[in-house]
Amino acid sequence: MKKLILKFALYFILILLALEVLVRVFHLAKDTPSRYVDEFEVEKWKPNQEGFSVTGNRRQNFSEFHINDKGFNSYREFKPTKEGYEIALVGDSFIEGFHQNYYNSIGKKIETIFKDTVSVYEYGYAGYDFADQLHLINKYSRDFENIDLVILGLKFTNDLDRSKYEVMTSRLALESPLNRSLKKIKLLVYLKNIGALNPITKFFSNIKESLLVKRNTNKKEKDSTDHIEDINKKIDNFKSLIDLYGFDKSNYYLLIEENKTPQQFLKYLTDNKFKYIPIGEKLNSSSKNTTLIYDKHWNNNGREIVANEISKVVKKL
Amino acid sequence: MLFNSVDFAVFLPVVFVLYWFVFKNKLKAQNLLILTASYFFYGLWDWRFLFLILASTIVDFFVGIFINKYESKANKAKLWLLVSIIFNLSLLGFFKYYNFFVGSFIEMFQFFGYAIKSTWTLNIILPVGISFYTFQTMSYSLDIYYKRLRPTSNFLNFAAFVSFFPQLVAGPIERASNLLIQIENKRSFNYNQIVSGLKLILWGLFKKLVIADALAPIVDDVFNNYNTYSASTLILGVTLFSFQVYGDFSGYSDIAIGTSKLFGFELMSNFKFPNFSRNVAEYWQRWHISLSTWFRHYIYIPLGGSRKSKLVSIRNISIVFLVSGFWHGANWTFIFWGAFHAVAFIPVFLLGRNAVYKNTVIAQNSYLPSIKEVFQVFVTFAIVTFSRIFFRSESITASFNFIKQIATNFHFENYNHPLGYRMIDYYILILVFVVYEFIIRKDERNPFKFKSKIVRFLIYTVIIFTILLFFDDGVDRSFIYFQF
Repeated sequence: MKKLILKFALYFILILLALEVLVRVFHLAKDTPSRYVDEFEVEKWKPNQEGFSVTGNRRQNFSEFHINDKGFNSYREFKPTKEGYEIALVGDSFIEGFHQNYYNSIGKKIETIFKDTVSVYEYGYAGYDFADQLHLINKYSRDFENIDLVILGLKFTNDLDRSKYEVMTSRLALESPLNRSLKKIKLLVYLKNIGALNPITKFFSNIKESLLVKRNTNKKEKDSTDHIEDINKKIDNFKSLIDLYGFDKSNYYLLIEENKTPQQFLKYLTDNKFKYIPIGEKLNSSSKNTTLIYDKHWNNNGREIVANEISKVVKKL
Repeated sequence: MLFNSVDFAVFLPVVFVLYWFVFKNKLKAQNLLILTASYFFYGLWDWRFLFLILASTIVDFFVGIFINKYESKANKAKLWLLVSIIFNLSLLGFFKYYNFFVGSFIEMFQFFGYAIKSTWTLNIILPVGISFYTFQTMSYSLDIYYKRLRPTSNFLNFAAFVSFFPQLVAGPIERASNLLIQIENKRSFNYNQIVSGLKLILWGLFKKLVIADALAPIVDDVFNNYNTYSASTLILGVTLFSFQVYGDFSGYSDIAIGTSKLFGFELMSNFKFPNFSRNVAEYWQRWHISLSTWFRHYIYIPLGGSRKSKLVSIRNISIVFLVSGFWHGANWTFIFWGAFHAVAFIPVFLLGRNAVYKNTVIAQNSYLPSIKEVFQVFVTFAIVTFSRIFFRSESITASFNFIKQIATNFHFENYNHPLGYRMIDYYILILVFVVYEFIIRKDERNPFKFKSKIVRFLIYTVIIFTILLFFDDGVDRSFIYFQF
């Protein structure tokens, strides 16, 4: 028995080490840049980092990122001037674009459409909601004053849960020394990315659930009334964020998947003269996939469509 | 509880430690542990079905005793045998076939113009593995009746035999002469046996998680949308299904045999590389062996086997294949599948080629197969794969439409999965799998039979690495044969 346990442990460790080597050799785990909160309490990536983002078990998507001086993933530095025509794209991971080479981003595609006569600055950061976006614009107002057009990516279901900005401590917890050390184990990062750890976490959460006394037995299921209340609450958050941080209706556009957005909110935007660029129908009607396989972020085709839709609006201005 | 779940990964070491540490050298306690663990294992699906196993166990335990008691009175012994057969087949008949028969009768009447409302069909849940354990308990009574076995007087041992968790839900369908005897005798901790078990578990997991689960979404897409695809895609789909079902079921069997080894038990082999069969008869000597031999021992031979005229033999072969098809499921698709195999088997039988490959394997004395063998394997694989159209389709109409689509839309097109899967990965996977199985073709119980420790270690690593490369958290992980 002793021999069995010892040999099993030895093989287990050796195989883990061999897998770590294989994951590194084939670069199957994504690199994660470090994040921080700057002096304006804006959360972003530490400047001047480089690496590769990987999606899928077998590296189905492999792209390079480059964090610029300002702390955002872009091939260019952000230096807005009064002279040139500049566009800012502000949003979450869809704008951030770790899923595509940084030199082939939505911004770059727009610049190519306009034959490099415009500059596009992509202020994208995974997890940014509307509060993050407006806080950023507000704090970097000196930069944004020089930008001619600002486009804010807005997902109604995710981005309007807060009525004011606060630093997200949960996200920053990912920068804890323990987390940073764990991220150095590429096998672990890989296992997490492909969902191989999900059955284990699910197993423990099931045990936890079955052991805990059912505290939430009175929790009623959401009905249509709750749904309407939820929409109203989000619209209220939208209003208070705008009141708090300001919104230049003449230069600011929202980028919206209108088919995933409640009509009530769309009507509110129209009634109150908020301008938005609808991209949902175009993405939906594409004959080719618009998202990655193991990830719901836009693939090259999706980004192409978004860049085209934005360009159409810019051309009309 | 599935073999490929975290639940099982926790359950198995716990039972293993209790078995070899706490209850070491205590046969009764070990058997009680096996029984308890087995009931726990099965009860996690649905505790109510435990009563069915218990009922089947009680009935056959006493039937065995009474058959033996009336050994000299043939009629009474036969009567007790009938009790076992009627009871077990009634269980199967009610839970598995009731709705099929009612539905078929209604359809038949409707065909002749009589409208019958289908109020007789019931919402019955099929208990997992019912076809397996009922056949196992019946074989016990049959073996006693045919005087191949003495009945046990120990209910605990018999209950452990019926519910033995490694093979409870999908076989191998064991005979009491093999498994019950082992349960009744003391087991000792055998390092080599346990290591061999662990290797089989790893190989079984690979076949299930990589071959079966990775191909499942592609096969599902082809069969769900067959009317939109060309012949080349449909042939690809059914070929991949052949590998999927093989990976799924033989993977399960390997894990079952491997798990049993951890507790000192040796189960019978259930698969012997059927994809390398040189004719349909050899295929049936290599595919789901425990069921094939069950039908051979308890149906084919009692009916007269091939000892009588050719005509009677053909009748017996047809019966066995039709029953085998029906055993798989209450659907005309399975009956057609069985009938198709009967039609494929009979010519081989008539040519006297049904036993020529019984004790040999492809490229028995050489590194590579001959051109003739390659051709034979290819033809056999094509026949078996064609039959899987019936096996996989939802209905008999869908099966024929699938075949019609192949015939009428006969051209090549490049297949692209709707979710954009990189198909080349899967083609390489299958190719490497076939080559590896060819290398290990002579010993199904030792998939890593390489002298060099380094080579073995590299293979373990590559296997686990491949499991990760094809791991898909979103796929349904249950085993195909659980539905039977």
